[in-house]
Amino acid sequence: MYCVRKVTDNLYWVGANDHRLHLFENIHPIPRGVSYNAYLLLDEKTVLFDTVDWSVCRQLLENLEYLLGDRPLDYLVINHMEPDHGASIEEILLRWPDVKIISTGKAFMLMHQFGFHVDSHEMIEVKEGDTQCFGAHTVTFVSAPMVHWPEAMVTFDTTNGVLFSADAFGSFGALDGKLFADEVNFDRDWLDDARRYLTNIVGKYGPHVQLLLKKAGGILDQIQYICPLHGPVWRKDLMYFIDKYDKWSRYEPEEKGVMIAYASMYGNTEAAAQALAAKLCEKGMTNVWVYDVSNTHVSQLVSESFRFSHIVLASVTYNLGIYPVMHDYLMHIKALNLQHRTFAIVENGSWACKSGDLMQKMIDEEMKNMTVLNERLSLASSLGQGKEGELEQLAAAIIESMEEDKE
Amino acid sequence: MNFKTTQAHEEFRAKVRNFVETEVKPIAFSLDEGNLFPEEAVKKMAEMGLMGIPYPVEYGGAGLDVISYAIAVEELSRVDGGTGVILSAHVSLGSWPIFAYGTEEQKQKYLVPLAKGEKIGSYGLTEPNAGSDAGGTETTAVLKGDHYVLNGGKIFITNAPKADTYVVFAVTTPDIGTRGISAFIVEKGWEGFEFGEHYNKMGIRSSSTAELIFNDVKVPKENLLGKEGQGFKIAMSTLDGGRIGIASQALGIAQGAYENALEYAKERIQFGKPIGFQQSISFKLADMATKLRCARFLIYSAAEMKEHHEPYAMEAAMAKMYASDIALEVTNDALQIFGGSGFMKGMEVERAYRDAKITTIYEGTNEIQRVVIASHLLGKPPKSKGGSSSRPKKPAPVTGIRKCHIFRDGSAEEKVAELVKHLEKDGHDFTVGIPMDTPITQAERVVSAGQGIGAKENMKLIEEVARAAGAAIGSSRPVAETLKYVPLDRYVGMSGQKFTGNLYIACGISGAIQHLKGIKDASTIVAINKNAGAPIFKNCDYGIVGDVMEILPLLAKALDKGEKNPAPPMVKMKRPAPPKPEPIGKRYVCGGCGYEYVPELGDENGEIAPGTLFEKLPEDWVCPECAEGKDMFIEE
Repeated sequence: MYCVRKVTDNLYWVGANDHRLHLFENIHPIPRGVSYNAYLLLDEKTVLFDTVDWSVCRQLLENLEYLLGDRPLDYLVINHMEPDHGASIEEILLRWPDVKIISTGKAFMLMHQFGFHVDSHEMIEVKEGDTQCFGAHTVTFVSAPMVHWPEAMVTFDTTNGVLFSADAFGSFGALDGKLFADEVNFDRDWLDDARRYLTNIVGKYGPHVQLLLKKAGGILDQIQYICPLHGPVWRKDLMYFIDKYDKWSRYEPEEKGVMIAYASMYGNTEAAAQALAAKLCEKGMTNVWVYDVSNTHVSQLVSESFRFSHIVLASVTYNLGIYPVMHDYLMHIKALNLQHRTFAIVENGSWACKSGDLMQKMIDEEMKNMTVLNERLSLASSLGQGKEGELEQLAAAIIESMEEDKE
Repeated sequence: MNFKTTQAHEEFRAKVRNFVETEVKPIAFSLDEGNLFPEEAVKKMAEMGLMGIPYPVEYGGAGLDVISYAIAVEELSRVDGGTGVILSAHVSLGSWPIFAYGTEEQKQKYLVPLAKGEKIGSYGLTEPNAGSDAGGTETTAVLKGDHYVLNGGKIFITNAPKADTYVVFAVTTPDIGTRGISAFIVEKGWEGFEFGEHYNKMGIRSSSTAELIFNDVKVPKENLLGKEGQGFKIAMSTLDGGRIGIASQALGIAQGAYENALEYAKERIQFGKPIGFQQSISFKLADMATKLRCARFLIYSAAEMKEHHEPYAMEAAMAKMYASDIALEVTNDALQIFGGSGFMKGMEVERAYRDAKITTIYEGTNEIQRVVIASHLLGKPPKSKGGSSSRPKKPAPVTGIRKCHIFRDGSAEEKVAELVKHLEKDGHDFTVGIPMDTPITQAERVVSAGQGIGAKENMKLIEEVARAAGAAIGSSRPVAETLKYVPLDRYVGMSGQKFTGNLYIACGISGAIQHLKGIKDASTIVAINKNAGAPIFKNCDYGIVGDVMEILPLLAKALDKGEKNPAPPMVKMKRPAPPKPEPIGKRYVCGGCGYEYVPELGDENGEIAPGTLFEKLPEDWVCPECAEGKDMFIEE
């Protein structure tokens, strides 16, 4: 049975939802599922924009058969070759032997690498600024290297203002019937997953997202729809989401607030984290979020790190080093290029306390444009008597650094 | 030059020779004996236009060529090696970097009076840990608004303290080696710029040599010479030219000794004839003259190349190396010809023998000259770990960047007075105080005792200082734990109490890492210890090297302002966060794979040296990860 939705005249969503997949890219949990979006344009020629993951190929085929009826599929535009979108290409080629493939040179190279038999088809290699007319609709191709693969491009339909944005502007979460962002409560139900998607998948490539945003900036008044490869389609309040992307890709925090990430073996470091959280709230900073790195998935830690201006790292010393799970989290935000955050450090060690120095070194030497507050809370096993002063000073320093930021 | 100087050159030589024979020769011995700078002669050199020989007339110079300059240094040195180097250091080292790298404003302000000889110039590169390896430079310049703050020191500086203008090299970007060094023009008389004693040297004693000391010297931003990070380049290119001067000095010293020996060999009669006609002496003279001629050609050739703006670094190094090596041989032979008479003070050849030695050492030792020459012949050595310029520097002190101002001069009273003056200037008000039993973590001030305090009764000295300073009492771990002089909750350190107040006075504490970690947030750290090598001195703002038994009573007296008023709630004196190294250039990201080009790292596989800016990468350079070209990179 088909399951399609109309985006606008002659353009249909022909993708599918997936609630069965546990880990996206086999790493990020997706409790709300995910959608693989593909779009079909029915002009004088018929054009499929991207395909879907192999797991939902059957749904794509049923959707295409329903909408095409007796018509052949004339063109397949591949904006992005990652297998969650490209895996069904071979099936399309088999069913429509005359379909012409439009993509970038690098994408054709990847198709060969993935073992798709594209050579028996007409391959139209396009570059930045090339156009293609399908009848009433003319599209322009715009390269989007490293958002977040090198072969990626986006396609802009100059006739109806639809931007096929590939992975840009995507989100985790299955659509489950809804298609447009204005059909859901995005801020309440989707923003966290959208942030977790962008920061974990594309986070490292901020400069290239910025480059793409600049290109989009030039045609902003013409964009009517943003059709990403995951998550809802945008047709209203586009600037809301573009602004978020701008912040994330510039590594600027969304909110003034404190994320406290703690690594605790027996609850002593945790107690310090809680005491600090309480102090901060007492001082009026209530946008405080406490996470146990051992039972919070790192993709969520990353996402929250992109969200808040301040991060407190509270870690026990383990094998004379940083607690491994905390270390893993730090490696993730380093790899994802997070910048412009203010850190405070709480360290714990029962005989040789090393975690604070090591975390500071990692931030100072391996990350960019970070500030580590001078004040540090050092625990010998537990937050003992006499540490209240240090705790107070640390909380005060965090608050003060927020006020400085305001200036 | 067709292997012959011009008539103008020789006329100029005669003029300089005439001057030095009349003005310097008669006093040369007394200058040497008295360690005296030839003030009058230098003034006359200025009047003659010698102080700006190779600089254009419009900048106050004589507009002559580099060979003329070499001739002048040679002729001065022929009579007195010290006078020769005064000119060499002034022209080549003190003036040339401003001429070559200065802005028009800097040239007008500094080069013109230097070239006219109204001011004397000098150059400060060498430091205790930065001799042949300038990458070890430790003097720092931190940009603060419209000025840099210079801290550190320079040693063995020719023309100091006589000179008025100093080209000084300091680290503006730590941890990236020579690429973090910048050059500054610093004027004598600026606050915090002081001199150590005039060294008592083996030779060239008429040349003044002293230490430069910089304590928070404010250098206006406009006195940055060239750009930030260009310092090493400026220093090295300056030395290239300076080598022509030192080669000429060596040549002159040797020439003078040779002439004296030749004269003596004709006069001194043994075995019935002048010793010069003994084959052993005549062969010596023949060898000496040959070596001098070789050296002179090397020097004039390098000078001519410089004049014609050809690359001349290797040739200047060859000239300096050879001329100074043979200067030792020639002065040695000359003294040998004089026999016992040459060994006597007052003999010119004795002075020349001593004067010559420095020429194989300064402006780059002759070992370094060989490094320079070999590098021109062989190119870059195969890659190896640990070249000085890219070697990471030693980590910052545990307590972060500190002033490390050690009071060295004067009596113990004077040092203590100076310390108290600085503390008060920094804003510590000693008319107020806190109870001595204030918990360490809440104390604004702590006076702390280490094992250096000795016997238990000496703790009363600590109490007296604490009372006078309005401070609580603390200690190092052993003083509380082992000696039990104070309760356990009063020891300061990572495992003990952390002091985060404004003033920490460490008495007899050597500075174990765990102790230092407990005071790293202190606004001001004062160290008093008799061991000058104690780590605490690298971690303090102010320090006095001395016995606590002597210093503490003086300090208690100096701090005592009568009955203390209770201190108002503490206002933490902010300590600036240690400056982070400024990036040396923009990073670029590859559009083919996301690889990030970091100029500080370069690209080892692509044979791109660390410190290479992206813009400077060869056109055919490709991404080391995915082989995309430069055009696929975007600015980060």
